[in-house]
Amino acid sequence: MKLPGMPPLLDIARLRPEHFGGVVELRRPRGLLHVDRAMMRELGVTESPRWSGPDDGPAAAVEARPLSAPTEVHVVLSRRCAAGCTGCYVDATPQGAALPFADACRILDELSAMGVFHVALGGGEALELDYLFAVAAHARSVGITPNLTTSGLGLDREAARRCAVFGQINVSIDGVGEGYRAARGFDGFGHAKRALQHLRAVKEEVGVNCVVSRSSFDGLGGVAALVRELKLNELELLRFKPVGRGARLDEELTPEQGRAIYPLAQRLMVRHRIRVKLDCSFAPMVFWHRPSPEAAAFLGVQGCVGGDVLAAVSPEGSLMGCSFAGRAEADARVPGAMQTAWEAGFDEFRGFVARAPEPCASCDYLQLCRGGCRAVAGAHGAFSAPDPGCPRVQEHRARTRPAEPIAGRRPLTVVSGGGSP
Amino acid sequence: MDAVEPRPPAAEAASAPKKGRVLRATFGCNPNSSSLGVDVTFLLFGATFASALALGLGALLRRSPAPAAEPAQQPAEPKP
Repeated sequence: MKLPGMPPLLDIARLRPEHFGGVVELRRPRGLLHVDRAMMRELGVTESPRWSGPDDGPAAAVEARPLSAPTEVHVVLSRRCAAGCTGCYVDATPQGAALPFADACRILDELSAMGVFHVALGGGEALELDYLFAVAAHARSVGITPNLTTSGLGLDREAARRCAVFGQINVSIDGVGEGYRAARGFDGFGHAKRALQHLRAVKEEVGVNCVVSRSSFDGLGGVAALVRELKLNELELLRFKPVGRGARLDEELTPEQGRAIYPLAQRLMVRHRIRVKLDCSFAPMVFWHRPSPEAAAFLGVQGCVGGDVLAAVSPEGSLMGCSFAGRAEADARVPGAMQTAWEAGFDEFRGFVARAPEPCASCDYLQLCRGGCRAVAGAHGAFSAPDPGCPRVQEHRARTRPAEPIAGRRPLTVVSGGGSP
Repeated sequence: MDAVEPRPPAAEAASAPKKGRVLRATFGCNPNSSSLGVDVTFLLFGATFASALALGLGALLRRSPAPAAEPAQQPAEPKP
């Protein structure tokens, strides 16, 4: 595989032992590989205190226990943003709270010591903080790759040049032209597109985040065409969640849209020759189409990974399983609190599979899907309930309790007939 | 010097160290508040592709120089 004089095709940044073996962080191509204990030994890690029992025993199974630390943490740097988007998940305002610079750096130090690989910096609008680039530089200095989501508003050439410190940067664009204004409540498409052009001029890892709502669904083709036009490296489709100011909107996908999103994403990928990703909350809509479970497991296709692969830190310093949902498990600003909470907490996330109600309990994809999105389930009444946007859940409810409303929010319309293909 | 009895092939196979495997692969970085869920690009190709990718990545990993596990990080003094 390696020709003389050629650098290795994989550039390994570091290895993190886990109960099943370990996680290998690749610098090039950028990625994370989960490997078994035998492979860790081949890579030079002969033993680890995390390896209990025989290599082929139950303690070495991937699903035996959560990871020793999240692989990525979403650090919500602020609830500060001047844009005033109508569906903002963190209810950001121009005077919103922000995580102070010193606290952010201390938290990054501790995440580094835990072995976290990536952080997603966001807000609010993180670019409104004058210390954003210093936080990103500090993350780099402790071995963590900082990534960024931004609206792109006000991002000029000079700011774009400084963005080279980040790994992946995605600009939020929920529609093209009028579609942007309809989704966000103001006309910012031109600014966002210009920001993408500035960023693309200085780096390759630039993409688009698109919140898929009932209204924006039909405009996804235009966003995909933009990704192709600007030669961006990915389009990430994010399911609309009824949290923050989004809870006031009636924008959750219809059942028909929920079932159509996965085939649509495939079509966009093929037609525009772009990389398309769906966020974790779309997992039930994907699994309803019954993709290969082996391929899904290998490619890390999972539903809710809060408190396992993922954690979040709020601007107030709370450590949570996910930035959209869950209780505060620890004050991340207190030294050692995150590590302690990680070892013993997050039961409301981690316990779903063991306590799953029907129809999740009998679903072939339970171990992968983990009941869909906890934030959406919580917004509809019960954090521990199956995701009400899952087509299988909707079919189950249509059969068993068609007249029963979902507590807390308007019930999703259930269409009759049509099993999974 | 005593001659060494050749080991039967079955015993040799049993004592050989087990070959390592890649169990999962995710590519790119996730800048979002929700975790990366589905990379449509790769999932489209199914289980055969995933098996081939696992074998290929395993072979490439063995040929890559590996760093020490969890190198100690010395954080720089933060400066705003």
